[in-house]
Amino acid sequence: MTVHDLNGARGAARVGIGGPVGSGKTALLEALLPCLLARGVNVAVITNDLVTHEDAERLRRSGIIAPERVLAVEAGACPHTVIREDPTLNIEAADRLDRSFPGLELILIESGGDNLASTFSLDLVDYWLFVIDVAGGDDIPRKRGPGVLRCDVLVINKTDLAPHVGVDLDRMFAEARAVRDGRIVVGTSCRHGRGVETVADLLCHDVLFRDMSHPDVPIRDAAAELTRAETS
Amino acid sequence: MTSSGGDDGREGAHSYGGAAGPEALAPLRVVAILGDRAEAGWHRRLHAIEHAGAVEIVEVPAADLRRHRFRARSMCGREVIVDLPRDVFLFDGAVLYAEPDLALVLRVEAEIWLRLHPLDAAAALELGYHAGNLHWRVRFDGDDLLVAAETKAADYLARVAPLLDEGRVRHVG
Ligand SMILES: Nc1nc2c(ncn2[C@@H]2O[C@H](COP(=O)(O)OP(=O)(O)OP(=O)(O)O)[C@@H](O)[C@H]2O)c(=O)[nH]1
Ligand SMILES: [Mg+2]
Repeated sequence: MTVHDLNGARGAARVGIGGPVGSGKTALLEALLPCLLARGVNVAVITNDLVTHEDAERLRRSGIIAPERVLAVEAGACPHTVIREDPTLNIEAADRLDRSFPGLELILIESGGDNLASTFSLDLVDYWLFVIDVAGGDDIPRKRGPGVLRCDVLVINKTDLAPHVGVDLDRMFAEARAVRDGRIVVGTSCRHGRGVETVADLLCHDVLFRDMSHPDVPIRDAAAELTRAETS
Repeated sequence: MTSSGGDDGREGAHSYGGAAGPEALAPLRVVAILGDRAEAGWHRRLHAIEHAGAVEIVEVPAADLRRHRFRARSMCGREVIVDLPRDVFLFDGAVLYAEPDLALVLRVEAEIWLRLHPLDAAAALELGYHAGNLHWRVRFDGDDLLVAAETKAADYLARVAPLLDEGRVRHVG
């Protein structure tokens, strides 16, 4: 089969969501999918868990998305291998989704929870987010993990927890921007749906090439506004 | 995959957000690679367009060559939306658009390679171990190890700081 059999010529955009265990990757999916569906984006999901289908089942049960649009890939012992060294299983799952759902525009691929070194192969995805969280400590960006440095969008989740874990959000965001040479950093509280529209804006703009939900606001500034709001 | 006819790579007169001011050039959406600037036929054709001062270069980092979908800007500031099929890969000199009044050609930004010189075999073994463990992209050149710097050079040098500090490996360029 050639890619030309996939949804006309291109197939759906493929976007990775990586990050450490428990940072909120599935929570981001749960918050993001309704935003994307409300914008009419034709979307499907692949989850990677070590030896279970836990996250896939959680999404299927959520009622947010049709259960058949969620595929699970078992990563075995090594979550980064299936997104970086040998992403064959994930590529096959994505091809399957492209074949099953004509008109599919976006496939979100959640990596199994890993460490700060995990990165996505561009053979698998067009674009990838890396999710860290406030409760992991405000020194995480300073540790310069390849995931933090190289992702297209760094998401700092659980901003609601900052006061409880004694994290200085301003400093955390400033340091994250500094290690990323100013590339985009978005604050979210997936638990409360905060910041998630900005992530949806970025996907719509950067890989779906759609107009933004708020066309008057330049996208880069919108993200900066949000992180300022989150940190104030 | 290349083709020189049919699909001209421009799709409609979309107007995208984030344009660079009132005189912004019309954005272009690239959906195919038309050819290779190095091929004689394309070389001639581009030469003719160049006379009209209408060849725009789109520079991308080497690390982005494997991407199929992204937004870029030509060196004239035109927004370029790259939206290629999965089996089509960008390369240095790829012709993205070609009409008598405008051509777009891709150029790969010069890569930065760090040259590291281990002083003896023991240092070389250790440096090689770290490079593998850190998944660095490397080349060998005589007694030196070349490391592709996809982020800041300091990010790479910091990882082998003990070797550098002890003088067992020298950063020679
Ligand atoms: N307070 C708070 N809790 C959150 C937020 N986002 C996620 N959580 C909680 O953090 C825990 C882990 O969230 P998950 O979404 O399962 O994290 P994950 O990154 O998918 O985890 P793995 O897939 O196991 O690596 C859950 O208990 C979530 O409810 C947030 O924004 N605020
Ligand atoms: Mg999860």
